[in-house]
Amino acid sequence: MRSYKWFLPLFFLVCFSACVDDEICEEATANPLRIGFYAPGELEPVQRPIDSLTVFGVGRPDSMIYDNAYSVFLAELPLNPNRDTTAFVLEFPLQTDTLMVVYQRELNLISVECGFAMFFELEEIQNTENFITSTTISISEVTNTFDEHIQILVPAPPPPDIE
Amino acid sequence: MNTYRYLFLHLLLLILSSAAFAGENDTVFRPSARIGVDFSGVPRNLIEPETRTGEVSVDYEWRKNWFAAIEAGGASIEVDQPTHDYQSSGYFFRIGVDFNILGQHGPDHLDLVLLSARYGYGTLDHYASRAIITDPYWGDYETAFPEETFNAHWLEVGGGVKTQIWRNFFLGWSLRTRLLVSQTSDPAMDPYFISGFGKNRDGNFSVMIHYSLYYRFGF
Repeated sequence: MRSYKWFLPLFFLVCFSACVDDEICEEATANPLRIGFYAPGELEPVQRPIDSLTVFGVGRPDSMIYDNAYSVFLAELPLNPNRDTTAFVLEFPLQTDTLMVVYQRELNLISVECGFAMFFELEEIQNTENFITSTTISISEVTNTFDEHIQILVPAPPPPDIE
Repeated sequence: MNTYRYLFLHLLLLILSSAAFAGENDTVFRPSARIGVDFSGVPRNLIEPETRTGEVSVDYEWRKNWFAAIEAGGASIEVDQPTHDYQSSGYFFRIGVDFNILGQHGPDHLDLVLLSARYGYGTLDHYASRAIITDPYWGDYETAFPEETFNAHWLEVGGGVKTQIWRNFFLGWSLRTRLLVSQTSDPAMDPYFISGFGKNRDGNFSVMIHYSLYYRFGF
């Protein structure tokens, strides 16, 4: 038994060198705000796709984040890492709204390979209500996860024409 | 969820180790001491060349199957990339006890399967003179963190084995789960790697495995 028993530590050396230290850029450094579009449902809001959606940042009308996009359930919008507020213009087919997000920023060293990433803590949303009915912060931490952070409630789509 | 996975791993490894060493029996108690050099920094440095760690340990069996243990060492990180740089240098110590769950060792059976408990303290100085967040839409954000001292206290539990490989030389591994109990409040920047503690995962805990070579002194 003793003659080969010392292999045991070496066995675990090989196994766990690979298991514990395999974090090579697995966490993303881009952390967009994710907003979902919903319409009133019988019991609770249901997802509603938005057709012909255009989104750009206030002050950046020449640079579209979404340009006449179709079937958008979830929009990913970049928060400004240089400021504590970011405002977006959302152009729906017939109406336009402005959404302003207020947050705190925190810089994190994600890994030596990937460097730093900005995490955001949402504090407040302000918006016009031309097409948007209401907004809710569902998850306030905007980090390197795939969570939906804000729910936007809009009117239900008109029923299809029946001939 | 990771916590439970690591705890389960702890138990599994100790059970496997106990089974491998089972069957040995000796009741004679002779106090002993070991000095050890942790070489787990070597594979870490191969995987992450920016990180360098070193550690030595001393343990003394003051009572059969009970060992007082002290571990001390240092860690440094030096990163220089186009988008960021980061420098960190620190040292640490841990103090605590090991218990040999085999309960059977003696002059001819020196292998150990250990449960460990430690208190740890680490301190480091770190800074980043360049931290750039690239943002193609709003424009890049650039900042810097001046040098800052960070201190941490933690508790840890774990287990492992020490196996005689030749005369008084032993090879061993230990798996440790650590929980921060106190740290510098509101640091400008969280350290990437706390000396002696490791990477701070969600919930202020970390898991590290150590591999060491020991020399035993018998009394």
